[in-house]
Amino acid sequence: MVQRLKEVDVVVIGVGMVGSMVAKELAAAGYKVVGLERGQTRFTVPEFQSPAIHDELRFDVRKALMQDNTREAMTFRNQSSQTALPIRRWESFLPGTGLGGSMVHWNGQTYRFQANDFQLATRTRERYGKNFLDPDVTIQDWGVTYEELEPYYDRFEHLLGTSGKAGNIKGRIQAGGDPHESPRSREYPTPPQKEHFQGAMFRKAASSLGYHPFPQPSSNLSQPYTNPEGMKLNACVFCGFCERYACEHYAKSTPQTIILPVLLANPNFELRTGCQVQRINLDSTKKHATGVTYIDAVGREFEQPASLVITASFALNNVRMLLLSGVGAPYDPATGQGVVGRNYAYQTMSSVASFFDEDVIINPFMASGASGTLINDFAGDNFDHAGLGFIGGAFIGAVNTNGRPIQYHPVPPGTPKWGKGWKQAVVKHYNHSVMFSLHGSSLAQKQNYLDLDPTYRDAWGQPLLRMTFDFPQNDLKMAAHVTAKAVEIGKAMGAKQVEGSPRKGPYTVTQYQTTHNTGGTVMGDNPKTSVVNRYLQSWDVPNVFVVGASNYPQNASWNPTCTLGALTYWAIDALKNKYLKNPGHLVSA
Amino acid sequence: MNPRSRRRAGLLSGSLLIAVMPYAPTASAAPAPTQVQAAATTAPVGPAAAAPPCEACHGAHGEGMAAAHVPRLAGQSAGYLLKQLNDYAQGTRDNPIMRNFAKALSEKQRMEFAARYAAMSAPFAAQTTPLNEVQLARGHQLAFQGSETKRVQACDSCHGPDGVGVDLAAPYLAGQSAEYLASAIKAFQQGTRKNDAGELMRSVAQRLDDTDITAVTGYYATQGTATH
Repeated sequence: MVQRLKEVDVVVIGVGMVGSMVAKELAAAGYKVVGLERGQTRFTVPEFQSPAIHDELRFDVRKALMQDNTREAMTFRNQSSQTALPIRRWESFLPGTGLGGSMVHWNGQTYRFQANDFQLATRTRERYGKNFLDPDVTIQDWGVTYEELEPYYDRFEHLLGTSGKAGNIKGRIQAGGDPHESPRSREYPTPPQKEHFQGAMFRKAASSLGYHPFPQPSSNLSQPYTNPEGMKLNACVFCGFCERYACEHYAKSTPQTIILPVLLANPNFELRTGCQVQRINLDSTKKHATGVTYIDAVGREFEQPASLVITASFALNNVRMLLLSGVGAPYDPATGQGVVGRNYAYQTMSSVASFFDEDVIINPFMASGASGTLINDFAGDNFDHAGLGFIGGAFIGAVNTNGRPIQYHPVPPGTPKWGKGWKQAVVKHYNHSVMFSLHGSSLAQKQNYLDLDPTYRDAWGQPLLRMTFDFPQNDLKMAAHVTAKAVEIGKAMGAKQVEGSPRKGPYTVTQYQTTHNTGGTVMGDNPKTSVVNRYLQSWDVPNVFVVGASNYPQNASWNPTCTLGALTYWAIDALKNKYLKNPGHLVSA
Repeated sequence: MNPRSRRRAGLLSGSLLIAVMPYAPTASAAPAPTQVQAAATTAPVGPAAAAPPCEACHGAHGEGMAAAHVPRLAGQSAGYLLKQLNDYAQGTRDNPIMRNFAKALSEKQRMEFAARYAAMSAPFAAQTTPLNEVQLARGHQLAFQGSETKRVQACDSCHGPDGVGVDLAAPYLAGQSAEYLASAIKAFQQGTRKNDAGELMRSVAQRLDDTDITAVTGYYATQGTATH
């Protein structure tokens, strides 16, 4: 029997970064907010303390902080002619679960996108002509501009305390920062983290080639910081256990360190963990949500009525929630009609390994998740693509995050895969290698999409999300081009052997790449090509807001978190100052 | 040699394989950590003699003088000791007595003293003011687990499992005198000591109250013989 609970003003699905931010603001504004989190409660003490949190087998290999795919998996195929199979072990991407969400296990890399990214379709057409791209490419403008988002980027960076060096303040280029960045209103809240040795090597080599190296913006903080919520963070100790782990030092910006204690202290907010939301409930018109239905940890089913529903779960799960609920028309790749699941994009990751003589000591373990040095000279539209046959790019950086013993062992191609020869090579190269990461953009194309799997279901009997994805040719060309540039930097560093590994197809889910899954609930100014309007409000059901990287029409050359934080504050502003004062469509279709 | 020293020497003998070189710092360059380690392993071990100017306060075997808040040095990380001597000499750690001693030492002598004390062993002193069970439990909690309400991480997160210290990074706490540890935390708390990387100890110390400080320092003081 379904128990019907007392109605609240707002129900938030997922209490990660977005959910915590939205709930905090709306509860503070006087609304009764319930946060439904499928995972468990967890805090820096006791859950994240060492030595337990440095268990590489548990967290890195066995993915202890990730979505439980014995109960809730996803299925995958490269193209729609294939039959998708469930991903039973996360490798390519790692969706988190539990209070604080995926931000608990992030690396802290906190980049803004550039002005060009938000108007990618228009700017590409203007600069390269309308027939420059493959007709299958479905890139589009965001419906919001960088200039509009700038104050929200600023606010988010100050929530996190991000450590970095500005490259462009109000149009003035700043020495030591990224000259390619779009103008920011002020300096980062805290100075950059200390540069490690490989970062210094990279800086010197990249400068010698005429590029513009700068310190990675890091939300593993360089110094103690008190954010505008009154939360105090510590300085990072460079332990090298960020991504896939939680931080024991209160030094990484995560919901637990930047906002959750403030939210949980507000009596207008109620957190319920172990709650698996089944669907958003709609009334008979299908144009109005009445709340959500969820199943708690002991299997009881509840209906939670609410005036406003906000889906704030991981990008892929936002898409699935709308599909399970019938909010918005599902995308059909055959006709190009429908929007939910459309424009799924990823990140095109390549790498370059530079091997040095044994007198060059790298100490890769002395790092944080974002203490590297990089260039944006080949990212986004920062270089002329005329004649290249692709758009987009990648940042290139000595941004290696760790030297952990089980997973980090760079060896040159041709090394035996196991046995004595492999072991000898690991010993020889472990401390004398530099790995560049090439973090590339990802275009949307009509063959790549998300829908519900017709066969496989989760532990609650609901269809799994099905991913159909392969790398667009555009992105593979981009990867090859930028990798060649990065190899030149490796050689300029004086490495005796430099090996470039440009991303190649087909896409596989059995190799780690990145957890930057985007799209599927795309934002925009046209309901035929977007799920939500520029304020992240559903075109079809105006009392549903969808907030996540699922809103990105395509993915840019940088990590998505900072842009998501900016979008979240942008949407919060619209909720508080527009929607909640006068509920209804914020944009007329 | 007590068990702690044996363990430390064991760790260092591994590094000796790659660091077999006499310590020979140049006048300008600060010694590399491996040089200090090498010095530690080549310094006489066993019943090492304390240095005359040091032993008056730090004891004949580096056992310290708890009542005067003088730390135990025996078996302490050579890298940590050297950094403190350098900081005293440069004024980045302020102590009028130690400043004069440290300034009078050459770079090479500082390294030798650090290595010598790192190789020493000394009996652990009995607790002058034993803690009750509640205090010990709180001390253990702060040491091993930290406190979410205070927003402090476990001391062991940086100071090593059971507070045994981490060479070159953080001093041992286990077996150090409660009196010295408390004075050090108070100095960080009041900002009179500022030579902590990233203001890490100042951040933590500011969140501890006197009850916490008594508990955690008293707890570590009891751990010298029990766990090592």
